[in-house]
Amino acid sequence: MNTLSVKVNRTSGGKFQHRKRGNKTKDLNITSLIDILTILLVFMIKNISMDSTQKNSPEGMLLPTTITTNELVESGKVVYLKIYPDKILYGTESLNVGTMEDFLGRTEIRNSLLKLLQMESKAISSLSSKPCLLIQADKEVPCRYITEFIKFSAQASFANIYFSSIHTEDKDQILGL
Amino acid sequence: MAYGPTKSRSRSQNELREPNLIPIMNLFIVIIPMLMTIMVTVHLAMIEITLPTEGAGNGGDDSQEQVEDISRVITLALLPDRFEIMVEGIEDIISIPQLSAGTYDYFTLDRNMAHLKNANEKQGTIDILPDPAVKFDTLLRSIDICKSNNFPNIKYLTSSTKFYKAK
Repeated sequence: MNTLSVKVNRTSGGKFQHRKRGNKTKDLNITSLIDILTILLVFMIKNISMDSTQKNSPEGMLLPTTITTNELVESGKVVYLKIYPDKILYGTESLNVGTMEDFLGRTEIRNSLLKLLQMESKAISSLSSKPCLLIQADKEVPCRYITEFIKFSAQASFANIYFSSIHTEDKDQILGL
Repeated sequence: MAYGPTKSRSRSQNELREPNLIPIMNLFIVIIPMLMTIMVTVHLAMIEITLPTEGAGNGGDDSQEQVEDISRVITLALLPDRFEIMVEGIEDIISIPQLSAGTYDYFTLDRNMAHLKNANEKQGTIDILPDPAVKFDTLLRSIDICKSNNFPNIKYLTSSTKFYKAK
């Protein structure tokens, strides 16, 4: 019994032609897939950015959105301070400083953070650069803590302070329309 | 006796041979995930503020968009339930209450800032005084509205004393 594996073709002038299924594998047509992939590739190469500052979006943080943006001051070197609702991370290595309550309530934490900032500021100044503090804070963080950090940075000779945000072109989004 | 080419041979010569796309496919499969991982999806912006201290004042001295200031202080206070704008020399305080609980009226703030800019074209500085309870999002939106209305220098007042009320 061979009925399942043999296909009978009666189209050519009524004559029977037997063709075994599976004898010849049909080539997969991948031209359309290649087309899509080429478009994707071109699109991605166009959109790619090698700017390192664009890649430092802190993980798990909801940044506010703004339409304006400022350039970093010339020969400025950035020190990062990430303020989450439940923790504060310092520097590019993201050293955990503690919670915001710790920062406000515990003198030893404040002193050690101040020392760190002062050391960093001195090190940057010794390289003839300008120390800049980039505060990346969650949008839910109360200004009480932001103000404290600004006071702090002023004590540590950080004259240039920046807030980090997500850039948008849509002003209506800012105005809540 | 010479024979002509067989049917299958002449057919294979007539048909165009498809190029071997497998190496290209392999390349694409490597390149596309790599590009996807390094592609920037979020563009970060930086908002500069200046400190009110005299020595460090105008931390934005190097700012290219510095506008010549005249000695008129405009203060924007961010309060838990409203915005307040005080212009030096004008007794009336512009109060912009919240639209609803927790929803600030940024549209009216923007309109007022545009109006203030028209009235004080040479003014480039706004003092901003946030209440400790106000969220960072509100602060940054307000700074953004000031900057977008050509007030490039934002002076962050760290004092919690609302000095303008004592006048």
